[in-house]
Amino acid sequence: MVHLENLSKIYRTKRGEIKALDDVSLHIEQGEFVVVRGHSGSGKTTLLLTIGGMLRPSMGNIVVDGKDIYSMGDRRRANFRAENIGFVFQMFHLIPYLNVVENVILSSHSGKKKTPEAKKLLERLNISGRETHKPSELSAGERQRTAIARALLNQPKLVLADEPTGNLDPENAAEAVGYLSEYHRNGGTVVVVTHGEAVDQFADRIVHLKEGKIQQMEDNG
Amino acid sequence: MNTLYLIFKEILHRKINFFFSILATVTAVTLFVSFFTTGQASKRETTRLMRDIGFNLRIIPRETDMSKFWNVGFSEHTMPEDYVSRFADRGDMSYNHLIATLQERITWRGMQVILTGIAPEEITPPGKAQRPMTFTMEPKNAYTIDRGTVYVGYELANILGPQDQIQIMGKSFRIARRRPETGSDEDIRIYAHLKDVQELLNKEKRVNEIKALECLCLDENKDSLDILREELEQLLPEAKVIQIRSIAKAREKQRLMISSHFSLIMPIMLIVCAAWIGVLAMMNVRERQNEIGVMRALGYGSGKISILFLGKALIIGFLGAGIGFAVGTWFALQYGPDIFEITAKSIKPLYNILGWSLIAAPVFAAVSSFIPAMVAVTQDPANTLRD
Repeated sequence: MVHLENLSKIYRTKRGEIKALDDVSLHIEQGEFVVVRGHSGSGKTTLLLTIGGMLRPSMGNIVVDGKDIYSMGDRRRANFRAENIGFVFQMFHLIPYLNVVENVILSSHSGKKKTPEAKKLLERLNISGRETHKPSELSAGERQRTAIARALLNQPKLVLADEPTGNLDPENAAEAVGYLSEYHRNGGTVVVVTHGEAVDQFADRIVHLKEGKIQQMEDNG
Repeated sequence: MNTLYLIFKEILHRKINFFFSILATVTAVTLFVSFFTTGQASKRETTRLMRDIGFNLRIIPRETDMSKFWNVGFSEHTMPEDYVSRFADRGDMSYNHLIATLQERITWRGMQVILTGIAPEEITPPGKAQRPMTFTMEPKNAYTIDRGTVYVGYELANILGPQDQIQIMGKSFRIARRRPETGSDEDIRIYAHLKDVQELLNKEKRVNEIKALECLCLDENKDSLDILREELEQLLPEAKVIQIRSIAKAREKQRLMISSHFSLIMPIMLIVCAAWIGVLAMMNVRERQNEIGVMRALGYGSGKISILFLGKALIIGFLGAGIGFAVGTWFALQYGPDIFEITAKSIKPLYNILGWSLIAAPVFAAVSSFIPAMVAVTQDPANTLRD
């Protein structure tokens, strides 16, 4: 599903160069649940955004679902992302002026046609009573469930989650990871980057990242 | 999701930003519309005033050397006095004052003075009350110069002292009046009855200038100086006509000055308003960094992101044009008639400007928001999503 080969990402700042990813090679199979673990600044989010076609690497190749995503133009890559990749962020990143349903169908470029599916998804994620609420009127757990619904609406092949439990209490964190796990059990590929161990129990494989390099890879079978 | 729906939702969410952006556009359109509407009134008013003021004509002998005329202030040649009545008898001209003079520089007590003979009464148009000849400095307190009397200019009066008789070219005259200081060549003039001056100079029945003041010559459609000259050449073959344009020129100059102020102020105002909209749009982009980032993650391309910002700018421009036209027209209708009293009734909404405003203002707002929109499109979404 995802193939990374000698991937490096260098940030050029006024204070010099920062190597966020350093010669990372990784292969993730279709239907695999991979946790990328590392401390803050280890390059986890950079890795996730690079896989998601959001951040062009300085060196190396990335193939997602058989496509070299960075050889595509901006519009094609955006379309590819919309059809194949779902994102979940620690800060949820919901649009403040849209209600819950509208935030979910935002990921659907076909607009209101997906509203029934969005409502069904919200029901499954246990927030159907909050459909018309704005993000500011939701709890953190509800916001994250809305964000997960948004990521899953298009039934993507790959879900990339960046610290999805970072802002949640243990109960909501378990619930959120449970939904990702459910998606994985239904055949989806999940990559979660996190610094904690809460997600480990659902992972097929755990990748340890330190200073932009893969330090260790362990199967969690 | 429908882009227009997203734009309207965002507008409703960030009302203050939208309000101030609209305010900038409304300000620009209001200024333009009110200036333009009153500017049109000003133009009409000037045209009307110039028409009402009419020509101030100086009719002088044809053979006058103009370089000498402008140096000396009067012609060295003369023309028949009856040109005054010939002019006055023309039926298709109206005027408020018709004055005949005979002027000549003479030596008096070793000084160069200007002896000026003035017809005892100006000729007024039929139906108007006759008024005595007036001096330019005292139009409201005019005096008739009787035969055998003179008015002396300020400088000459100082030389003469308290005496009440004066000798001019061997003939005695009573000083009827001493003129106050004018700061012009009037201060070295001796004014006398036209007949007296004609006798003194041996130029009976001759004058060297006829002034037709506030003359509405010919009709409205052919009041050009060229036509007038052509007409008068036939009527007064020994004369030529000069137009004193100072009043008309001053009025036109005033209008052009207002117009040039308008053309200076308007671009400055437009730049200020454009910067205002641009800054607000940039603030909007900064505030929406996360939103842009997540939209990118959800597969929104550069085109759709830029439409979100430029579309909002178009809506701002469109609404601003409508409101600005209404406010600007209201200002023009409310305050214009007080300024332009003569053409007050002709100050009306200029609906053709509304059409132009509805096209120009959205373009103006979109251009002002272009840089912020490009910033939104080119900003790296990873920067905000990484935080």
